[in-house]
Amino acid sequence: MSAAMENAIEVTGLRTHYGQREILKGISISIPRGKTSVILGGSGCGKSTLLKHLIGLLRPTEGKIAINGRDIAAMDEEELNGVRRKMGVLFQGAALLNSLTVAENVALPIREHARLNESTVMIMVRMKLDLVGLSGFENFYPSQLSGGMKKRAGLARAIALDPELLFFDEPSAGLDPVTAAGLDDLILKLRNVFGMTIVVVTHELPSVFTIADYVIMLDAGEVIFSGILDDLRNSQNERVRMFLERRPETRTYSPDDYFRFIVGD
Amino acid sequence: MKIDITEHNGAKVFSLSGDIDLYSSPALRKELIFFIGKKVPLLLVDFRDVSYIDSSGIATLVEGLRGMMSHGGKLKLFGIPERIVEIFAFSKLDKVFDICGSLDDAVKD
Ligand SMILES: Nc1ncnc2c1ncn2[C@@H]1O[C@H](COP(=O)(O)OP(=O)(O)OP(=O)(O)O)[C@@H](O)[C@H]1O
Ligand SMILES: [Mg+2]
Repeated sequence: MSAAMENAIEVTGLRTHYGQREILKGISISIPRGKTSVILGGSGCGKSTLLKHLIGLLRPTEGKIAINGRDIAAMDEEELNGVRRKMGVLFQGAALLNSLTVAENVALPIREHARLNESTVMIMVRMKLDLVGLSGFENFYPSQLSGGMKKRAGLARAIALDPELLFFDEPSAGLDPVTAAGLDDLILKLRNVFGMTIVVVTHELPSVFTIADYVIMLDAGEVIFSGILDDLRNSQNERVRMFLERRPETRTYSPDDYFRFIVGD
Repeated sequence: MKIDITEHNGAKVFSLSGDIDLYSSPALRKELIFFIGKKVPLLLVDFRDVSYIDSSGIATLVEGLRGMMSHGGKLKLFGIPERIVEIFAFSKLDKVFDICGSLDDAVKD
């Protein structure tokens, strides 16, 4: 394998906007193949935005997003679809289709990308549901599930096609500690058994120290850290330390600025 | 994936090679269903040259096992590379399938 292909994803000079607002300010990162990378950073710093660009859901203003060496920012929809077949995604809100049962939701990507016999599909679906602890809930509708169960159903759907690349946006948010630990365990196994490249956005520090091989930290649209866990622990960067030590943000503006802010001037 | 079908002491032997995935599982399924229809007593699947199996492949073998059991036949797998045994174990199927080391072990009982 060439040095470049040791990274499943190479992002260079990525700039993104929502309207006039610049969100990601020219970031460059590498996601190592067959490893779990965790993306950290405060609320609103651009983590979900980054993830949506990595899966080709949003197009950048500038920059390259190479997946297995090919720039998806330059691909047309059809090419992009080919790349997406190798990706599993679990969004922040799980995004199940409410008119379909749990089983039908999980079967969706299988039916979309493959021609398999119905009974084969259903066995695949039940295996995935069992992995996420949802055996027996095949015929439930999303509205009949708790928040954590929806998340796990979304996860089952994300891994339905045994993806090469798996993306999670805050998978353990809203899960009880036991279920969250089970999810960490599943992520470790998916990496070990299938060699999946996994990218996880999370705020849960215990989870970071359990699953991460590689960490990227964003702050206000810029990368302030990237490296292995040991380097994260030893980082002297003030913003990194604040995050790890869970120190609150200290206000830096003056009483005058504060006054102007609350009166709306 | 390629399937070679031979006979060994009255057993059917499926020798698979390459990737058993979304694209090749239907072909494997078709062959399995055909021999299940003939109610063969023993079907052995040779995994020595299999490089990868995904969940569609595993699900297809589960269907094969169920089909064989329905007429009292046996389905056994042998020569599975270590990495693929792990995939079976991950799917909790390493104890469901009869997994043997070699062809000789598989025809013994
Ligand atoms: N669809 C949108 N239209 C306009 N602005 C958006 C949109 N989505 C996000 N933003 C803005 O982009 C910034 C980054 O949002 P993003 O969702 O990427 O943050 P995040 O790091 O994932 O935060 P959180 O940890 O709270 O999920 C935020 O300031 C947000 O207001
Ligand atoms: Mg987010």
